[in-house]
Amino acid sequence: MALLKRLIDWIDVRIGARDIAAKELTGYLLPRNINTWYSMGSILLFIFAMQVVTGILLLIYYVPDADKAFKSVTFIMNEVPFGWLIRMCHAVGSNMMVLVLLFHMISVLFMNSYKSPREMNWLTGFILFTMVQGISLTGYLLPWSQLSFWATTVATNSANAIPVVGPYLVEFLRGGKLVGPPTLGRFFALHVALIPAGIAALVGAHLFLLQRTGVSTPPFGLKDTANRWQGDGYRYESHPGGIPFFPNYALEDLRSIFIYLACFLAVVYFDPYLFFTRDSFLPANPLQTPAHIKPEWYFLANYQTLKIFPSEFIGLAVQGAGMTFLALLPFIDRTTERHPLKRPLFMICAIGGIMLWIGLSVWGHYS
Amino acid sequence: MHLSGSLLILFALLLPVASFAAEPAEIVCIQCHATMPGKIGEPVKLWKGSIHAENGIACNACHGGDPKDAANAMSPARGFLGAPKEPAIPAFCGRCHVGVLKDYLASAHGRALGKGGPTCVTCHSNHLVVKASLEIINEKRCSQCHSFERAKTIRDAMQETEAMIVAMDKRIAAYKGEGVDTEGLEKGLFAVRNRFHTLFHNVDVGMVKKESAGIQGDLKKIQDQIKALDDSRQQRKIAGAVAVSAMLLLALFAHLLRKTFD
Repeated sequence: MALLKRLIDWIDVRIGARDIAAKELTGYLLPRNINTWYSMGSILLFIFAMQVVTGILLLIYYVPDADKAFKSVTFIMNEVPFGWLIRMCHAVGSNMMVLVLLFHMISVLFMNSYKSPREMNWLTGFILFTMVQGISLTGYLLPWSQLSFWATTVATNSANAIPVVGPYLVEFLRGGKLVGPPTLGRFFALHVALIPAGIAALVGAHLFLLQRTGVSTPPFGLKDTANRWQGDGYRYESHPGGIPFFPNYALEDLRSIFIYLACFLAVVYFDPYLFFTRDSFLPANPLQTPAHIKPEWYFLANYQTLKIFPSEFIGLAVQGAGMTFLALLPFIDRTTERHPLKRPLFMICAIGGIMLWIGLSVWGHYS
Repeated sequence: MHLSGSLLILFALLLPVASFAAEPAEIVCIQCHATMPGKIGEPVKLWKGSIHAENGIACNACHGGDPKDAANAMSPARGFLGAPKEPAIPAFCGRCHVGVLKDYLASAHGRALGKGGPTCVTCHSNHLVVKASLEIINEKRCSQCHSFERAKTIRDAMQETEAMIVAMDKRIAAYKGEGVDTEGLEKGLFAVRNRFHTLFHNVDVGMVKKESAGIQGDLKKIQDQIKALDDSRQQRKIAGAVAVSAMLLLALFAHLLRKTFD
């Protein structure tokens, strides 16, 4: 212990570590009515770190070559010590990341925390959501399985619906007329370098914005739930008399992370094939189309929307309009009230929207 | 800022999902024949439920022709063979099933070819050819030509082995669907199954019984490998239970520790 103290002292006199800890940890106060939903961001950070670590471990044996990719994944799953565990953690983790991200966004939505001055927090979060979808989609191709190949074939084909530039875009995405080795190279680069770097940068921006605006106060259990910020000047939302982030809320975060890990490991060990179909374990065969190609669960609503409309372009435009509306929600919803129960129209729209998304996903699954 | 942000989001979000409904084109044989009524269209429906369809073996693999050019699809110049006459059927199928052809020709069935004896399609049917199994040897089929008695004796002798092969095949397929490298197991079972299937065209009861016993010995070795996989899965579940319990305990510990700071 004396050695540890000496080490901390050594660092402290050089960079003022105790000052930083006092300001950002023990002195960083959070609202007294903070709830468990505020832990979603910490869980997401933990998942992202796990994805990076398992991804790096997979890179040791994975070969991004169309002739060798499937075999290398099979090797990881069967020959590498604990390779199956690392791969399953990575694959299940990607699905969990989308799921927890949805919970995080829904909690922010219902607590109206996206309202000014937090427009940029919402927007960076929304872009992060699209990037997580992007990293999941590009990762899908890498095992070079039947599912990877055909799901990517139909997914890249989607760009054809964009007027004028569509066909050129498809060729650009695929690196040729058809999905093939150049597509794998492109998706690999996007998956392991470009998108993770983008996500890391945006996570940094998201945390910076959080640090600058302060943590929002949940609207529950308060008499006055109106947003008092007028936009007349910079304001940091401090919480005098609040609970310290460390150790109090850090322990709550830790508890949430352990509960998440229990759920995550239960899936990994007891039902790891929840997110896989049989085609996920067959090598890609460009000459044999699987009977039914369905996207991942989080794309099912988009998939079904495209099928509802008579033209693919209309389906795309409707989704585009819906998503643009969501992305720009803080700029559209300028009301000051933050308690969802005092906003019946908002509640109807939000719950209706979630039900519609679930309904479309279920329909897409069974269609 | 708003416009570029929306365009970026629109592009990033929608690009991966559109047009999942698009289906790749089928070969011209199926495109035309599937829409035709009666006898000309029926083979397509039958073929779709066959083992050939399951393995991607389409019309042109047997009948020749050009599956990509509708105008010349059935041109002899492009190798179109059409349907074989009855005595030519074994040779037609035997282009791929070489070993089976040899067994068949050596059997009583094969020796009766052209003299009223059965051909491949008599027992296996033509377009709706399914995975060979002992079910093929049944009273309805065999009694088309002779009594079922002898065939039944042979079938009973092979029943146990067949049941073992079918059960193992299912287990291996299930493991394959979980990402297990089943190549070795599949190859092993394929070899044993082929050896076993050579007996299908044999009508010597004594030989069938003797060979079946030897085949069962080989199957036992494959079964041991499947058992090892079962054991490793069981161990993983035990490890999983420990890991999940540990996480829940840690969550409880963090919760109780947090309470001490209230």
